[in-house]
Amino acid sequence: MIADLTDFRISSGPANARLARHSNVDTTSPHHTDHALMLAVRDGELDALGELFERHHGPLYGYLGKLTGDRLAAEDIVQTVFQRMLKYRHTYRDDGSFTAWMYHLARRCAADYFRKHNAAPAATDPADLQEYADARPNAGDEAGISDDHAFLHRALNRLDRDDREILLLSRFQELSFAEIAGILECSVGAAKVRAHRALRELRDVYFQLQKEKTT
Amino acid sequence: MNCVQARDRFAELLDQRLEGPVSGDIRTHLASCPACQREFASLRDTLDRLDALPAAKPGPRLRANFYAMLEDEKRSAAAAAPVAARRRPTPGANVWRWILSPLAAGGLLALGFVAGHYSPQRTAPVTIPATSSPDQATQQELADLRKKVDSMTQLVGYSLLQQQPAGERLKGVLAAQNLTQDDDQLITKLISTLALDSSTNVRLTALEALYQHADKEVVRAGVLASLTREQNPLVQVSMIDFLVAAKDREAAPTLQEMARSDKFDRSVRDAAKRALVQI
Repeated sequence: MIADLTDFRISSGPANARLARHSNVDTTSPHHTDHALMLAVRDGELDALGELFERHHGPLYGYLGKLTGDRLAAEDIVQTVFQRMLKYRHTYRDDGSFTAWMYHLARRCAADYFRKHNAAPAATDPADLQEYADARPNAGDEAGISDDHAFLHRALNRLDRDDREILLLSRFQELSFAEIAGILECSVGAAKVRAHRALRELRDVYFQLQKEKTT
Repeated sequence: MNCVQARDRFAELLDQRLEGPVSGDIRTHLASCPACQREFASLRDTLDRLDALPAAKPGPRLRANFYAMLEDEKRSAAAAAPVAARRRPTPGANVWRWILSPLAAGGLLALGFVAGHYSPQRTAPVTIPATSSPDQATQQELADLRKKVDSMTQLVGYSLLQQQPAGERLKGVLAAQNLTQDDDQLITKLISTLALDSSTNVRLTALEALYQHADKEVVRAGVLASLTREQNPLVQVSMIDFLVAAKDREAAPTLQEMARSDKFDRSVRDAAKRALVQI
């Protein structure tokens, strides 16, 4: 199981990162690459994970929030991803890409979540809506935009999980298609085709929802 | 170029990361085909809307939990480091071990043989007289004794388990996670681990393993009992999530107390409040 979780290889990271491997990395420096920081974590400098958390937990949370449709679940999965990074840090490879490795772990953790809950994205809890209600003075003016976002979220949630996953990876996470192909364990060509097909599907569902609203 | 061929290559026009020369043929086709223009515009529009979706921000408990976990791991690593250093043998010691170990073993064997041969008397094996069927009081006493020995064995087993490094304990729990059959002993061990293990990671993994047995009352009661003695906010929040997932209404009084009490971390109080709504 551990091998399944972590046996993951992707195109080479920056060469200069390897130079930093055995030196003491200033983990707060913004100049170090993710790869160098993760190698430092692997070599026992656990504080370097704090910098990686600060850099990546926001986008990762955004991805998982849209994938699961559940804020609290997304937070829990982010926590689990970083927990597994620590647990399996010794399996991180010299020629790895940190971001791709992180999303590989995130994908596994999300799959565990879906298996446990055995369901599509959960409906939003009304209590949460109240908690996160938009209290800005011009919130009313922006209701139209929020409405549009709500439709798009609903459309995303109606997609197959695979389609939703590739759209989120390709549009929000600044990953190359080579990295996405590595995460999804398919060819680069297949990843491109799947991303385009998912976009067409999203378009169809989104306009269908708009149509239902106007009729 | 026809419509099908052109639409197959829309991805290249829509996604600037897709490298490769975009054929002038597609642009020529687009300029002259209203149907493809509509198709392209609708995809472009969807993509723009998707890119405009605002990024959601996580709550403060995520950061708090992460740093609590990191500190815990650092403490575990610091505790494990001296042990690992002690265990690392020096090259010289290794050579001596190879030479001295067989000599010592041989010496002990010879000593044992000589002592056995010149022993003044040999004791006959002790025979236990066969008893007739024991009365009810004796049987009850025997059953009680067996129960005591069993629980003592469990305690000793758990103490021995605790003496292993956290990594080994984690492996044990991970192995338990893969077993799907209902094994009361296994469940008891998992609950004991959740309640007593010193490593946060091991406790969290034990909790994860207990999810598949969440329908059992004993498991829910075990998690609830562990929650009251748990100190780490990360594990406390995970336990609350477990009780929510298991829809354990018995947990409501404890959760109410946690939601009110200042001695718990804020993230734990928030999780308890949310759980009270969801249970």
